[in-house]
Amino acid sequence: MLEIKNLHATVGGKEILKGIDLTVRPGEVHALMGQNGAGKSTLSNVLVGHPAYTVTEGSVTYNGKDLLAMSPEERANEGLFLSFQQPVEIPGVPMNYFMRAAYNAKRKHLGLEPISSGDFVKLMREKRKIVELDSKLTSRSVNEGFSGGEKKRNEIFQMAILEPSFCILDETDSGLDVDALRIVAEGFNQLRKPDTSAIVITHYQRLLDYIKPDVVHVLINGRIVRTGGPELALEIENQGFDWIKNEE
Amino acid sequence: MSQYLELFQSQRALIDGNSIPFLNQHRDAAAQALAQLGLPTQKEERYRYTDVVGAFAPNYGLNLRQAHTAANQPDAAVLRQAEALYGTLASVQADAITALNTMLVQDITVLCIPAGEQKENPIRVSQLLRSTAPLMQNRRLLIVAEPGSRARILLNDKADEGQDFLTTQVTEVFVSEGADVEFYDIEQTHARCHRFHQFYADVQQGGRLTHTVFTLTGGLSRNTTQVRLSGKDAEANLYGCAVIDATQHCDNNTLIDHAVAGCRSNELYKYVVDQQAVGAFAGRVLVRPGADQTDSRETNANLVCTTQARMFTQPMLEIYADDVKCSHGSTVGQLNDEALFYMRQRGISQADARLLLKQAFASEVINALPFEALRGRLQVLVDQRFRGELNHCRTCNLCGTQNT
Repeated sequence: MLEIKNLHATVGGKEILKGIDLTVRPGEVHALMGQNGAGKSTLSNVLVGHPAYTVTEGSVTYNGKDLLAMSPEERANEGLFLSFQQPVEIPGVPMNYFMRAAYNAKRKHLGLEPISSGDFVKLMREKRKIVELDSKLTSRSVNEGFSGGEKKRNEIFQMAILEPSFCILDETDSGLDVDALRIVAEGFNQLRKPDTSAIVITHYQRLLDYIKPDVVHVLINGRIVRTGGPELALEIENQGFDWIKNEE
Repeated sequence: MSQYLELFQSQRALIDGNSIPFLNQHRDAAAQALAQLGLPTQKEERYRYTDVVGAFAPNYGLNLRQAHTAANQPDAAVLRQAEALYGTLASVQADAITALNTMLVQDITVLCIPAGEQKENPIRVSQLLRSTAPLMQNRRLLIVAEPGSRARILLNDKADEGQDFLTTQVTEVFVSEGADVEFYDIEQTHARCHRFHQFYADVQQGGRLTHTVFTLTGGLSRNTTQVRLSGKDAEANLYGCAVIDATQHCDNNTLIDHAVAGCRSNELYKYVVDQQAVGAFAGRVLVRPGADQTDSRETNANLVCTTQARMFTQPMLEIYADDVKCSHGSTVGQLNDEALFYMRQRGISQADARLLLKQAFASEVINALPFEALRGRLQVLVDQRFRGELNHCRTCNLCGTQNT
């Protein structure tokens, strides 16, 4: 489904990714762990096409297509979704208006007619329940005045509406208390279809207690230095990253 | 400028003959003032952002022999009142464009809202320019809101495509004690129009004036808005929104004069300046000696969408009283890149994302307006404007197309 080969990328002229190789098959969840500055968020930004990042070498194939040749909106409409580490506040753009624009963009991409406003209201109501998002929030401007937890829940809510086939959760656990973490993680699990794939970026084991990874990767200094099963995350939880660094 | 004075001198009889005595009796003083002042150059502070001399230089035609149709039989008392008030706010000595208008204007629209009358439906003044040759038109509006009355006035400026137009308009609004006037000025002209609107208002004790100007399409737009708060507890709300692109030029110059104590004013102007357009805003708030307990807020926020677009902004607070609460803020910024990317990551095209951000920016002004039915209409107009679908013809039924 997603095949990353020898990916190098820079931001502001500085090389952050130094040759990433990673293959995610349909239905797999991969956890990506590593310390601050290792390149985890850079990888997620490169995958969704953030214009501040430049790919200098390598390739990414997504469902057989050249991902790097697509615009950010094409990637999104092809089913790629990023749950932002820091969701952006957009004053003046109402949440429901924004979501309808996104939903209809995807329908257009699929050659479908726009959804009627009545049907969209129903869809919003149904999906809100999954992440227990207050209806007051969906009538406000996008993320404006939302608490940290509400913003993260709102990301999963958007995922519920757009039904992506490939999700990247970029430190979705950061800034969440245990209850919020459970709601967000369970929301994600509920939304997952058998062939939905995901990359889960996190510092901690905590999120992985809820979202069980099939594969765990450790990223150090722009490279994947170790790949293993779920037990690798537990080892890191107990011993930190230093033992891997020392072994390098 | 000399061409206008010469025209006035040579055609005086025709001008007077096709007008009414109380307009005629102000012409000499106006001509004298114009000769003395001259049209303002850009060295003059109030006109530094707009080339007035250039706008008035071409040879526009004037129709001095217009057919006169009184909309309804003028009431003698209303006429007497209008005659007494005419030109008392719009001083010919203080402004050359006002002087030029007063010298040449032949028609006046007078609106009088009787004491205590509560007009629910808006009074619409629609102005449409049509001509087969370049045309100058001078317009005059006088509004008297008697004590305790309430009215909404909707001014809509449009022009037929394919012709050069120059208009001057002088509006005088007298808001009596406890009266409430909402004035909405919506410009939907085109690139070959030069529009100068001089708006003057006086607000008496407990009265309220809400002035709104939307510049949607046009060529050169210069709006001078001066409001005097001359009775305790008077209130002025000034709102403006300019959506300009191509070679459009929009200059809003405002003055709120806190002449006495205990008045409130609130000002919000927002510009979206795209392509090579030029926007200018100068907002002067004058708090005179003794005008204590003045409460004044002024905000000008601007979105500049390209590197060729220009925005000039100049808030000016002049405070000569001690016990006042005044604030002003001015910002010039670009579209938020992170917000754009966030929307694109959700599948929204770059063009649509930009559109959403611009609409959001302008909607703050629309949402501030007290006239609910107009808010919806303005939202539609502004959205169409941003999509490049706002053709002034679509809303006029002269050429046979359906109203939208």
